Amino acid sequence: MGRSRREFLQDSARAVCCLGLASCPWLGSAPLALAANENDERYVREAMYYNKLPGNRVECTLCPRECRVADVERGWCGVRENRAGKYYTLVFSRVCAAHIDPIEKKPLFHYLPGTRAFSIATAGCNIECKFCQNWEISQFRPEQVSAQYAPPEAIVRTARQYDCSTIAYTYSEPVIFYEYAYETSRVARQAGVGSVMITNGYIKKEPLLKICQVLDAIKVDFKAFTEHFYRDICRGELKPVLEALETLATLKIWLEIVVLIIPTLNDSEAEMRGLAQWIHRHLGADVPVHFTRFHPMYKIKNLPTTPVRTLERCREIAREAGLHYVYVGNVPGHEGENTYCPRCQRVVIRRIGYTIVENHLQNGHCRFCQQAIAGVWKT
Amino acid sequence: MTLDRRRFLQKFLAAASVLAGSRFPLPATAQRLTPVPNRGRVVAVKDARVFRGPEELAGEVVKEMLNRGLVKFTGQPDPVSAWASLFRAGERVGLKVNCIAGRGISTSVELTEAIVAGLMSAGVQPENIIIWDRTNRELARAGFRLNRNGRGVRCFGTDDELAGYENELAYAGQVGSCFSRLLTQFCDALINVPVLKDHDLAGVTAALKNYYGAIHNPNRYHDNHGDPFIADLNTSPLIRKKERLVVCDALRVQYHGGPSYKPQWLWNCHGLLIGQDPVAVDSIGYNWIEEARRQNGLPALAEEKREPTWLWTAARYGFGAADRRAIQLLEA
Repeated sequence: MGRSRREFLQDSARAVCCLGLASCPWLGSAPLALAANENDERYVREAMYYNKLPGNRVECTLCPRECRVADVERGWCGVRENRAGKYYTLVFSRVCAAHIDPIEKKPLFHYLPGTRAFSIATAGCNIECKFCQNWEISQFRPEQVSAQYAPPEAIVRTARQYDCSTIAYTYSEPVIFYEYAYETSRVARQAGVGSVMITNGYIKKEPLLKICQVLDAIKVDFKAFTEHFYRDICRGELKPVLEALETLATLKIWLEIVVLIIPTLNDSEAEMRGLAQWIHRHLGADVPVHFTRFHPMYKIKNLPTTPVRTLERCREIAREAGLHYVYVGNVPGHEGENTYCPRCQRVVIRRIGYTIVENHLQNGHCRFCQQAIAGVWKT
Repeated sequence: MTLDRRRFLQKFLAAASVLAGSRFPLPATAQRLTPVPNRGRVVAVKDARVFRGPEELAGEVVKEMLNRGLVKFTGQPDPVSAWASLFRAGERVGLKVNCIAGRGISTSVELTEAIVAGLMSAGVQPENIIIWDRTNRELARAGFRLNRNGRGVRCFGTDDELAGYENELAYAGQVGSCFSRLLTQFCDALINVPVLKDHDLAGVTAALKNYYGAIHNPNRYHDNHGDPFIADLNTSPLIRKKERLVVCDALRVQYHGGPSYKPQWLWNCHGLLIGQDPVAVDSIGYNWIEEARRQNGLPALAEEKREPTWLWTAARYGFGAADRRAIQLLEA
């Protein structure tokens, strides 16, 4: 890994400064504090989804892990704590990373292309991908990561100030900062700002349905199509993710999927074919799928970067399965970054990296053949 | 067919990379380790005089108990010789206490003071003694007086800006964690000073599990009742090379409802467990908890499906003994 955790956090904090947050009303004129590591009560809020059990124990009902947590202990995610039989999130308004990103970086290619997303995260995650690129925040507890107090209203105000169409809950795992993401999305909607969640989809149905009422789009990281990958590489489960995706397909919310292809672990043609067919059958042909390139990271440093040819083969397989919008990711300049019209096959949106260099959409239709292109487009 | 050196190396590296890529890319689970000194030897000290009242400890009795136990354990003629047989002047010694449950059931300040006195009798400078746990707040709540860089014995948590966690992961079997710099950089030797408690998930928490407070991600390692994670963590050379002594605080024992403080299931056991083998200390502690549960009409931990199986895993790794027949339990 090129950068240490400390360097990463310093960069993140600088980025917050660069965004001007240090001069926002909610920060006052105080210099940016990097050592805000106490469990300040401002960050503590009763969790929305849990059951009380005898003996001051609780059962979390937010994610499929369903942690049973004794008094003074925390759930698997490390950001929820049992205090005398009540369960609390410790990361409400506790932002450890904030950046303005192009929406394409999420990646969301069919949702307001060319717009900006005010992207925020708190510490913590409910799985542990051994290839996590943000492990310095996702695999740490809140008090171990420098953070800023940023209540929902301040986030929405900052997003508008910097002309961001959307707030993105990303980098770590929004499921674990559910209450904060939900409340921020609710406030954002009232202010005319959109909200998108970049998630692993490891969430139970009831909270998923509720937060979707205030979200505009979701990108799900579909880690692989085998239980053993989820169990051994991510310490999670595939089945609940499939169920969450099926739930999302029934809702009026824009959905895109990313599959990070890791050499030898999830790159077999058979697995990709099965995954593509499942998406086609259960989610539909219009759900965009991004096959992205792995780089050695966190606990998997002994495998090479994904060959571009492998990503291209995944794309071919997915298109053969009938999916309309299939992309190659993390390979800037590749033709697989472009959006092609499923009817005339011409390039509708041409991209280099996160930059749009051509846009031939007209009111959500291909300019060349008038085919409707699925997505959420600017009107 | 003959191969020149370059081609041979190319083929060898290609084969190696295929093998590496085809396997799960994590370090193998810990194999058998070198046994700790005095493997299986544990001294139990009990003294009914140790409580002045329902909750107040008699510090001088705690100190007497500790020194009596250490003399018995080391075979030295007196406490000063006993301490000096384990610690040298000039060493930096860390005392890993356990404060998660607040004042009700944390490592007692009186025991910690007795250990500090023992170390100083061996010539260890007070400034070279660090009492530590995860956070300053937990230490303060348990009654410890924080001293970050003043004169005298130092006391602060990993969350203090003086400390923090290492940037890089260290692996021990299935555990991959960033360790507290207090453990890795601030001390040459460790005294593990846990408190004996029932644990909702792990069954028992004492010496081995105390090091969950030395890593950044303990919540990742409670699956399967902590087995093999608790054992794996303790195979880390970062711990094994520095842990010099275990003094388990069993003056009060939380025999049910742990790890938090539940006064209705608290037992004034008046005990200390002393040794260099954390597996053996935990094994005896487990027996004590089971005995208290039995006497209070509670089911055995195995009946509640939370038997501390990580003990047997730790024993299999070879550095300590969990089987009662392999443990020499002495009384002092």
